[in-house]
Amino acid sequence: MFDEEVVPSTATSRTAYSLPIDPLYTAEPPITDDLISVTSTAQGNTVDQCLPLLKAQDNSIEYNIHGVPRLRRRKIINYLKLTLGQLPAPFVAADASRPWSLYWALNGMSLLGEDVSQYREGLCATAQHLQNDTGGFGGGFGQQSHLATTYAMILALAIVGGEEAYAIIDRRAMWKWLCALKHPGGGFQMSVGGEVDVRGAYCAAVIISLLNLPLDLSSDSPARAAGVTDLFAGLDSYVRRCQTYEGGISGKPDAEAHGAYAFCALGCLSILDAPHRIIPRILDVPRLISWLSARQYAPEGGFSGRTNKLVDGCYSHWVGACWPLIQASLGESASRQPEESPTLETHSFYDREGLIRYILSCGQDHSSRGGMRDKPGKRSDAYHTCYVLSGLSSAQHIVTTDTLRVEQVANVTWTVLPHPGDQIYDQEDLLNPTDPVYAIPQGAREDMMNFFLSKPGF
Amino acid sequence: MPPKGKGAAKAKIPDSKPSEPQTVLQRAQQVYEATNPLEAAREQHGLNGLSTVERTAYINSEFVSTGTTDQLGKKAQKELWKQVNEASIPPRKLPKPKPEAWGKDKYGRNIAEYGLEQFHDRSDKILQLATLKLDSKEFRDTRYRASRKLKNGLTGESYVLTDEDIEAEKERRKEMAALMDDLYGEKMGSYSVDPAWDDVVPIPQTEPEGALAAIAYPEDYAESTSYLRAVMAAKEYSPRCLKLTEHIISMNPAHYTVWLYRFAIIQHLDIPLLDELTWLNEVSLDFQKNYQIWHHRQLLTDHYYPTIAGTPDQVKRFASSERDFMMEMLIEDAKNYHVWTYRQYAVRKLGMWDEDELRSISGMINQDVRNNSAWSHRFFIVFSNPAYATEGSHATEHDPAIPAEIVDREVEYAKEKIKLAPQNQSPWNYLKGVLVKGGRKLGSVREYTEQYVDDLGQDTEQVRSSHALDQLVDIYVEAGEKEKADLCLRRLGEKWDRIRLGYWEWKRTTL
Ligand SMILES: [Zn+2]
Repeated sequence: MFDEEVVPSTATSRTAYSLPIDPLYTAEPPITDDLISVTSTAQGNTVDQCLPLLKAQDNSIEYNIHGVPRLRRRKIINYLKLTLGQLPAPFVAADASRPWSLYWALNGMSLLGEDVSQYREGLCATAQHLQNDTGGFGGGFGQQSHLATTYAMILALAIVGGEEAYAIIDRRAMWKWLCALKHPGGGFQMSVGGEVDVRGAYCAAVIISLLNLPLDLSSDSPARAAGVTDLFAGLDSYVRRCQTYEGGISGKPDAEAHGAYAFCALGCLSILDAPHRIIPRILDVPRLISWLSARQYAPEGGFSGRTNKLVDGCYSHWVGACWPLIQASLGESASRQPEESPTLETHSFYDREGLIRYILSCGQDHSSRGGMRDKPGKRSDAYHTCYVLSGLSSAQHIVTTDTLRVEQVANVTWTVLPHPGDQIYDQEDLLNPTDPVYAIPQGAREDMMNFFLSKPGF
Repeated sequence: MPPKGKGAAKAKIPDSKPSEPQTVLQRAQQVYEATNPLEAAREQHGLNGLSTVERTAYINSEFVSTGTTDQLGKKAQKELWKQVNEASIPPRKLPKPKPEAWGKDKYGRNIAEYGLEQFHDRSDKILQLATLKLDSKEFRDTRYRASRKLKNGLTGESYVLTDEDIEAEKERRKEMAALMDDLYGEKMGSYSVDPAWDDVVPIPQTEPEGALAAIAYPEDYAESTSYLRAVMAAKEYSPRCLKLTEHIISMNPAHYTVWLYRFAIIQHLDIPLLDELTWLNEVSLDFQKNYQIWHHRQLLTDHYYPTIAGTPDQVKRFASSERDFMMEMLIEDAKNYHVWTYRQYAVRKLGMWDEDELRSISGMINQDVRNNSAWSHRFFIVFSNPAYATEGSHATEHDPAIPAEIVDREVEYAKEKIKLAPQNQSPWNYLKGVLVKGGRKLGSVREYTEQYVDDLGQDTEQVRSSHALDQLVDIYVEAGEKEKADLCLRRLGEKWDRIRLGYWEWKRTTL
């Protein structure tokens, strides 16, 4: 593994011949209105902060021949390791989201190729501590179970893997609890008494499918009283109600389209059925694609979460990870003949070079702190480190779905391979692939699913 | 600098007559020496400095003190005891004092090193604390008896607890807390000090061995969440619990469990809505980015609404005050997602489909024509209005029930706003949304849209809005003019919106 602290950096990398950078990434866009408003001022400031980095003008940064900064692997790993240790008092603000810290750090390290099995024991102890007898995991000790923290904890357990980790999960209690969260409107409450939104739809679908839980609603489920009998019933139409006139997906019906919810919606649907069947049936796909595509800005190259909002590194995942699912929904690879050797379809709906430039130039915290961030001027944190890296991995890989299987079963086989050919990032900066739907290493997802597939019922 | 204590100077062990001891340890050493004359002599002169008799006596006494004399033969035991008696060694001797025997103070200093005065001072405080604890126990016992309406067995009088008693106990707890801190460095939290919380046994946060991402909680937070776990487990819904939730929220507003618990308390106690909202408004302004606050507000509105639903005036007043508060929040961040989501909820719940809401939104769009959250809300209040809209009509499909004049009005509104800043995507998205919703042909805005594009594909090409070019693609497709559409897409990818080249190219394949 490349380690910038051990391998002496060659002075040549800065002074050597470097290729010119396309002005698309270094110059103001061709059209700018002269009307000034809060939005345009914020946008202008962001471009001003990104440009020096995009132009490779900061001499303290090591650039490759394409004018792209190197990924500071070791620094990022060390930063994530710190977030798994004892945290100082200001982290009280994270007291209700501890499973998230675990997932962010472990997933980030896996993407970077770090062995995370050393954390298995500690994670198991922590998970047991946060699991409630009534099913699910709380954000902290003695806290109510929450769909988001339960989702994060299960993913964390999948990442470290091993039967010892899987066995911690009380599946029966989990199922009972999910039955209590099921809303008559098709969606899921985030916690008993909590809000219903698209996050809940995605988190529940991930949990149910990973743990192979029975879909029948328990007899005491409140949704059953409203005539719902199945955990997945009405979930797709709930997601449909969240598409807006802009084409994107909102957190709840009636709200504004938002990138994070777009991924939750597509991820949820891709679990319910094969994307090429369910996504066009449930959503207006052309409108969605148009809106998703408008999330990428020039010259920054990064994605924004909403119309007229600023780019932010975390949408590299939330928006970036939508694209393989969109591609699958169009059946782009479904027309391939089964006997044909897999030819990699390299067409991309978005500008991969732009996104990768944004991530490595603007999304890295270049200070001694390490880690990944929202944008220049912001400090890194575990959340952004995980999702910016996840977005980078997604941009570096190409996803294909297996045709034959698509026709036969709902569970699609996704193949994730590095983009072939010359790339603007160095080979050492290639991250591990990630599962397009579950956002964890594919092997980790498969191992957990296989384990629970052997356990129908409880 | 305060003057140095007596114990600070290092005293030498005197040769002959012991002088005044300076520290606790020295004093104990002297007492020890008085009961161990031979040991004292050996420590001063060494074993070889003793006379033969002294040496024999010393060794014998050490042997006797080990308690293992019965391991000797009978004859040897007899001889030993004879010698011991002749030497008249004191039959009881104190063990040699060890410096750690007194323990350490809160700074980690051995109390054995304390000066005598300092030591007495500490002993006094320990005594004082013990007395206070006894008094406090007396208070608790009396309170218990009073609560059970018990009578004094001797006098037959009832036990009563007066306000003065409670005040005195509060003072007592403060003194105890100060002493605990002073003596042991142990902080008594605000709950363990408060007599009102005596009946609750806190459930402290424990961490398993090797736990990951454990937080070093500030004492205040650790204590209050310990009490929270206890009262939640006991399903207690009382005013003191309401205060407790307030305290925890002030330290960590993201603690969703405490919010849900707080709402349960409000239901049980039937807390007046306005009281809760006054508090909540302040918290909301303090924690702009918080999620839980707005779900809590929604729960409150759901809970309160049935009590006013029958009085339209009251509903209107409430809606108006809600709007005022949301506008206050939106001054800080005009795109705050949680506020907007609550606003959409409030519109449905409180029926805010009126002119006031539309005017308020128009005002926001006037302030920043690029505020997409405001545009999105406008679409919602115009096209989901149950007065005419079809329930459940999807946002991206035609709703024939929308009156034509409303579609006209909104088309004109969007066109007018586009003029202010043609490269602003919000009104373009809105315009397309309105046309589709209203079942209008995109061609109905062809001329309008074309005015932002001159001489496409020629040397004199001018584009004032890439969004106009995007819209022209759909307009030309609708009109069956594929080549024109394709030219727009090519020019978008080549020049006017290059970052979206992959999308424009894909769209070309769909023509
Ligand atoms: Zn972000």
